[in-house]
Amino acid sequence: MEVLTHLAGGFAAILTPVNLLVLAIGLVLGMLVAVLPGLTLVMGVVLALPFTYKMGVAPALILLTAMYIAGTYGGAITAILFRIPGEPMDVPLLWDGYEMTRQGRTALALGWSLVAAFVGGIVSAIVMVLLARPVASIALSFSSPEFFAIVFFGLASVVTLSGASLVNSLISLCLGLLVASVGVDSIYGAERFAFGVPFLLDGIEFLLVMVGAYGIGEVLTRMNAGFPGGAPAAPDGEPRFRTAFPRLSEILAMKATFARATISGIFVGIVPGAGATVSSFVAYGLEHQYGRNGRLLGTGAPEGIVAAKSAATASVGGAFVPLLAMGIPGSGATAIILAAFLLHGIQPGPQVFVSSPLLVNTVFATVFAGVIGMCVLGYFAIRPLCKVLDAPEAIVSAFVVVFCFVGAFAQRNNVSDLYVIAIFGVLGYLFERFRFPLAPLVLGTILGPLAEGNFMTTMVSFDNDWTVFFTRPISGSILALSAAGLLWPVARALRARLRKESPR
Amino acid sequence: MNGRLRQVLPHGVMLAASVLLYWAATGIDADTGGRIGPAAWPKAIIVVLGVLCIWEIVKRLTAGSAPAARGLVNALSHNPAEVAAGIEAGSAPAPDAEHPRKLAAGIALVAAYVVAVSWTGFFVATVLFLAIFPWVGGLRRPVLAALLGLSGSLVLIVVFMRVAYISLPLGEGPFRALSLALLRAIGVT
Repeated sequence: MEVLTHLAGGFAAILTPVNLLVLAIGLVLGMLVAVLPGLTLVMGVVLALPFTYKMGVAPALILLTAMYIAGTYGGAITAILFRIPGEPMDVPLLWDGYEMTRQGRTALALGWSLVAAFVGGIVSAIVMVLLARPVASIALSFSSPEFFAIVFFGLASVVTLSGASLVNSLISLCLGLLVASVGVDSIYGAERFAFGVPFLLDGIEFLLVMVGAYGIGEVLTRMNAGFPGGAPAAPDGEPRFRTAFPRLSEILAMKATFARATISGIFVGIVPGAGATVSSFVAYGLEHQYGRNGRLLGTGAPEGIVAAKSAATASVGGAFVPLLAMGIPGSGATAIILAAFLLHGIQPGPQVFVSSPLLVNTVFATVFAGVIGMCVLGYFAIRPLCKVLDAPEAIVSAFVVVFCFVGAFAQRNNVSDLYVIAIFGVLGYLFERFRFPLAPLVLGTILGPLAEGNFMTTMVSFDNDWTVFFTRPISGSILALSAAGLLWPVARALRARLRKESPR
Repeated sequence: MNGRLRQVLPHGVMLAASVLLYWAATGIDADTGGRIGPAAWPKAIIVVLGVLCIWEIVKRLTAGSAPAARGLVNALSHNPAEVAAGIEAGSAPAPDAEHPRKLAAGIALVAAYVVAVSWTGFFVATVLFLAIFPWVGGLRRPVLAALLGLSGSLVLIVVFMRVAYISLPLGEGPFRALSLALLRAIGVT
């Protein structure tokens, strides 16, 4: 009951004209960045951040959260209609959603994706509200070894779950951790890797790494590909922008698919380092493996749409749990939302439920309202959303670069930060070129200070006894789980090699 | 350059960087009173980085195309219907051709924008950038590019400085005077 009362307070906070306007703007922007192939959801949230600097904390969080939610849906429309996955998470929709379009069932495919996003989003929002406070209470009893283990788990998961080679993922992660260690260290005040450059003494903000690597890096990558954007013709001529909902009996018949996808989406969302893309692929894989019609996936089966879309949207609520309860971002977008909290002097974590309960509940209410608003937009605004695909990519990219520059400059009014984003832009392109995943680099930069801080605090508090990480039950268990996760891809590769070498 | 040597180039560069960084880390100095010092964390990461680079270089030079350990999403990112039909992953059409000149021009433009924005101010630098970048990107419509540069910059100045209250570089000398005149004209004091 108390939970509902607090949540009502959150809804009251967003039901002001200004906050409702900000919510609507966030939803539209989120949809737009998800539809445009050159812009990713994380990039969009990064680019919106400078606009929140002078806002109050509540509208800032409403804007970014709404963008995050809507960004998980927009790409589904273009994936189903045009075979353009607006986001990597929408790739599974090509296999079944676009296949349904080819079979002349576009409207139903759009309807299934909308229902899936709604169910996944609302259920994950409920779980987020119910889970965040208890997790925060448990986190209050954690000490630095446990926090180090949790952060290590997040770093290990981003490596384990990525689609790239394990070694390249680990290298990318190490580079991110090293970038995070630049500047004056927080315990002894020693200079590290500043090389006599004054602005490096302040360290390299993770936002600059994100803006450079995701924003400018992506622009350069697409420039190298010759800006291949634009909406191709629909398979049967003019695309149909109508949505037809499945019957209730059809939805109920698929309840197991909804349950599997939503639960796996929430779980993957909670894991720091894994976001909507991983959720979407994992749920699709689960459905293929365990679904009643799993063998039909990839041939235009609605189960494929439901699995991928429910899980992607469900990951949003999941990702907010570690952010709010422990101050650990569960995805790239929540890392930006963490930055918005910190810019307004609020540290998410166990204490925020006591110090800023209204703000926490405003975020909760925004997730609920955002899911509903996203579905309304997804139903009524398909045609105008698809129109943005006609915008020449070269022009869109030019504006993306300018927004990146403004975002980087506005944070500290420091021209040196522009050099940093340009360098990370080129690095982002090189990473893409040589198949090093960007997510571990970025997550290493974000979680690096947390990992090092908790590691050093533990070592200082426990007289340099590193075994404490393994002898304390919670940290030991989490570290063992992380190690198992890291070894799992190695075991799979070994098994594949043995199978290849074994005589038939 | 030999194909395999080209394959190990990025890891070779990172190995060299890790050696240099380790050397830099040995110079991190603090009075720790016998406790673990500020160099321990970065040194440990550099060692891991170096070992990973050596491992990958040796593997690529010796093992060739042996299956590599990959993350979970890699295993899931194939259409199951295509897999069942025996269509190999990776048999998809080759990606579009690369445009190295376009890329080089893009990098040069971004670098020029970084330098120009502090010297000429946000407005002038952005007018030029918004006009030139789409042209480099393949949009061959000079009038549209010029209009885009001018109108885009004006809109962005109004949005950022008047609506979002973000302070942007004004430039130096005459460019500063121009930026200030423009700000006065749009009502930013």
